Formats: sequence, structure tokens, C-alpha cells
Amino acid sequence: MKHPLRNPFVYIVMIIPTLILYSLFFIYPMLTSSYYAFTDWNGLDVYKFIGFDNFIKVFSDSDFIAAIKNNMYFILFSVGLQVPLIIFFALLIANVKRFQRLYKTTVFIPSILSTSVIGILWGFVLHPNIGPVNSFLGIFGIEPIFWLADEKWALPAILVVNAWQWVGFYIVLVLAAILALPKEMNEAAEIDGATGLQRAWYLTVPLIKPIISVVVMLSIAGAMRVVDIVLVMTNGGPVGSTEVMASYLVNEAMGVNPSYGLGTAISLIIFAFALVLTAIYQLTFGKTKE
Amino acid sequence: MKILKKASPHVLLLIYVAIILFPFVFVLFSSLKESNLEIAENPFGFPTSLYFQNYVDAWVKAKINVYFFNSAYLATTSALTGVLLSAATAYALVRMRYMKVSKIIYQFVLIGMLIPGNVLFIAQYLLVMKMGILNTHWALFLPYTAGALPVSVLLIAAFMRSIPNELEEAAVVDGLGSFKLFYKIILPLTLPALVTVFIVNFLGSWNEYLLANFFISKDALKTLPTGMVGFRDSFQTNYALICTGIVFSVTPVLILYAFLQEKIIEGVSAGAVKG
Repeated sequence: MKHPLRNPFVYIVMIIPTLILYSLFFIYPMLTSSYYAFTDWNGLDVYKFIGFDNFIKVFSDSDFIAAIKNNMYFILFSVGLQVPLIIFFALLIANVKRFQRLYKTTVFIPSILSTSVIGILWGFVLHPNIGPVNSFLGIFGIEPIFWLADEKWALPAILVVNAWQWVGFYIVLVLAAILALPKEMNEAAEIDGATGLQRAWYLTVPLIKPIISVVVMLSIAGAMRVVDIVLVMTNGGPVGSTEVMASYLVNEAMGVNPSYGLGTAISLIIFAFALVLTAIYQLTFGKTKE
Repeated sequence: MKILKKASPHVLLLIYVAIILFPFVFVLFSSLKESNLEIAENPFGFPTSLYFQNYVDAWVKAKINVYFFNSAYLATTSALTGVLLSAATAYALVRMRYMKVSKIIYQFVLIGMLIPGNVLFIAQYLLVMKMGILNTHWALFLPYTAGALPVSVLLIAAFMRSIPNELEEAAVVDGLGSFKLFYKIILPLTLPALVTVFIVNFLGSWNEYLLANFFISKDALKTLPTGMVGFRDSFQTNYALICTGIVFSVTPVLILYAFLQEKIIEGVSAGAVKG
């Protein structure tokens, strides 16, 4: 008699739907992207194979170079500024007994809300005339700032909103790792006379390195992907000052003159960037997994 | 001194909590103010009289109930389908005895995690157009379901691996076939992982903006994230009304969160850490 766990019919029935759906919406688009990227297709039936022209065109567009730079600002901001804050607040929450649940629950709220609603919400908070940020600054006699319409301020404003949305999410990840550590070590160090700060720096942080590394990776991946918040808050403006690669892609490919060939070329570039950054990170900092 | 030491973390944390909650409070207050003038003149204060008419107006004008329902059932059905498909696949790959083939298929599915969602955006748009389902809910349901598969298979497979063989063997001796083994023994045992994966996928689809914005243009089919942006753009100068819209769109999620916070936090962090 056949063993029930060796039933080719069942095996196939269980696997096929997933494989079909997955191939159709992951593998097939990936393959067609790699093909269309080398054509001048604009949605009409006739298209030409044009080699690397799309890539050359994109890289010689100063707007795209600016978009790459803005993605780099997202990375710098989230890794350089957010990650230290995340670790700091996670340590703080881990070390209080009272209200721990309250903090943990509250800080997580922004990350369950839709990015587009958060964009609208903050667009209102940052409104030049009636937004509370300017009203507050007005108390000190500061003239209203056009946060999202001023080339100088638009990107910093979006960076802060993006941080507002995601810092709590990562805090909870790091917090979970800290709370999972065995308590004995910490107690032993306390008996040996180490201060809270010393314990955090010499004991806890080294022990949660793997999760910090995950947070950095996720931040980089998130910074490469960022688009919703930009589309909703500024749509890349004013004059391209908040354009990121993905919003450039959307605006080029889905604009008045859709250029799918160009769009797919840009998406391959984003993919390549993401892979290279991940690889660099893995090779330099990510291999502390002994 | 000791009190100061104990209180200072709380002071810092409460400042943080205030920064998180402040925009919500501001929007809630503004939604109850009668005019832009009142918001501008008194941005931090409680409304002078509670003007609930905004809520009535927004509800009538905004179709937020339509968007909300669209989001709710799209997110539910795609998350549910994704969980069931992934569970079936994980069962076949992990518990059934075709190790060599399974290993290859498993790796093949995991490749998907390397590809960031946005990268496939244009190609998926073209695919959906070719399939003739642009501007229907299928155009979102299928990519949402498919998009969740790699991580879901990974998480559920990891969980299923930890289930001991003995139970299964006993069931085999009792004469259960491979299908019954799946839904009578393995599925119930995997339930915690399934719930986790469901929540992660649900929130993902619930909040998705890019595809929803470009694959659906019919107003009646829009989801909450895109519907809200449209609402903002058409009532750009009535700030109280926009705030009411925000309140409408945020409240259900917050209520859900209040009930399920532990599960949501656990689920999302599991998905993030292992994904």
C-alpha cells in the first residue's frame, strides 16, 4: 500500500496553484522586465529593440541622478539617525517596568496605518497657514515655512515623517530581542557594579547585534523602495527636490506619454541597486553571525 | 536623586509618545471645528463647539464607506487565499516525502523575496492589462495574494517543520489519507503561524497604495488609501472635512489594533525578522 505522504496527485494539487500564481506575478514580470527594458515600447503594438538606450537616457538625466541622491539621503537618515534612536528607545522601554506595554503599543501605531493616510495627515500638520508646526514656530516669531513647497525643506520634512512612521516598528523588533535575552547576565553585571549605561553598551547591544543588523538591512531595503509617501505628499516636487527612484519610475512610466520600456529599465536599475547594497552590507557588517 | 533616575526614562518616553499621538489629536480636534478660520486661529485648542456636521458631510460626500468595504474584503480574501495556498504548499514541501523536488521548489519560491515589490510594478501592470482585468478587483487580488506567497511559505514551512512526526504517524495508522492529514492534523497544529501570516498579509494589502492607485480608476472600486488621496484632492480647501476623512479612515484600524495588538505586533515582527 502506498504511504499517504507519498501521493503524487495530492503533492501536485497542493503545490500547483501556488507555483502558477507565483510564476505569473513574480517570475514572468521579472523576465518580461528584463526584455522590455531594452525596447522603446510605449504600450502600442509596434516596438523596437534599442539596446542600452533606455539605460543611457536615464543615467544622463540629471533628475534621475538627483533621485538616486535622494534615495541615498533616505538610507543615510534611516541608518545614521534612526537606528541609534531605535536602539536608545528600545533600551529605555526594556528597562522600565511600569507602562512598558503602553509604550510598546503606542509607538507601534504609526506602522499599522497606511502610508498614504499618514502622508495626508502630516501634509495637514505641516500646512503653512493652519498647520500646528508653523503656529508653534510662530510663537517664537518664526515666519511660516512652506514645508512641502520649499525646495530646501521638502525632503527633510518627508524624511521626518517617514521616520515618524517606522521608528516605532523597529523599536518593537529590537525590544523583542532585548526581552528575549537571559536575565542572569544582566543581574550578574549589576552585582559587579556596572551602571545601567555600561550594561546597555557592553552587554545588551553586543548581544542584540544580529537584530540590529536585520534592522539596518530592512532600513536600507525600505529606503530603496520608498515611494508612497513621496507620491502622496509632494509627488516628487517642488522641482524634483523630493523625487526618489521609484517615484521617478512611476512618473516616467505612467505619465501622459507612458514609456513602459523606460519604466522597466528604471525598475531593473532599482533592483540592481538594492542587490548591490544588500551584498555590500552582507559582506562588510552582516557577517557577524558566528 | 533616586526618583529622578527612575523618572527620567519615563519623561523621555512620554515625549516620544506625545510626538506619536499629537498629529492624531490635532486632526481629531480639527475635524470638529466649524471652519478653516477656527482651525487657523486656534490650532492647539479644543473646538469651541463640537461641530459634528463635518462627519455627516464627509460620510455623504466621501464614499469612505465604499472604500472601506473594498479594502476590507480585498485584504481579507487575498490574505486568506494566500494563507491557504501557502499552507498547502508548505505541507507538501515539508511533510510529504519528495525531498529532492521539494528542496528545488522551495528555493525557487524564496527567490521572490529578493525582488522588491516596486520593481515588478510596470511589468505587473502590463500583465494585468493583457489579462484584461485592469480596473477590476482581480487586478489587486491576484498580485496581493501572489506577493505574499514567498514570505508566507517560508514562515509556515518553518513552523510545520517543528511539528513532531508521531502525531502524523498515529493518524496514518488510523487510516487518514494525505488530504485529511493536512486539514485534520497539520492545519490545526499550524494555526498560530497561520494567524500570524494572515495578519501580516492583511495589513500589507490594506495599506497598499501604488498598485491600487494605478490598477483601479473606477471610484466605486477604489480602496481606502487611494480613495482618501482622491478625497483630499477634491476637498483641498476644506480642512475640517479632510480631517474628518482622516478620522474615518484611521479609526477602524485603531479599533482593530486595540483588540488585536499583541497578535499584530507579534505577527508583524515575526514576518519582518524572518522575511
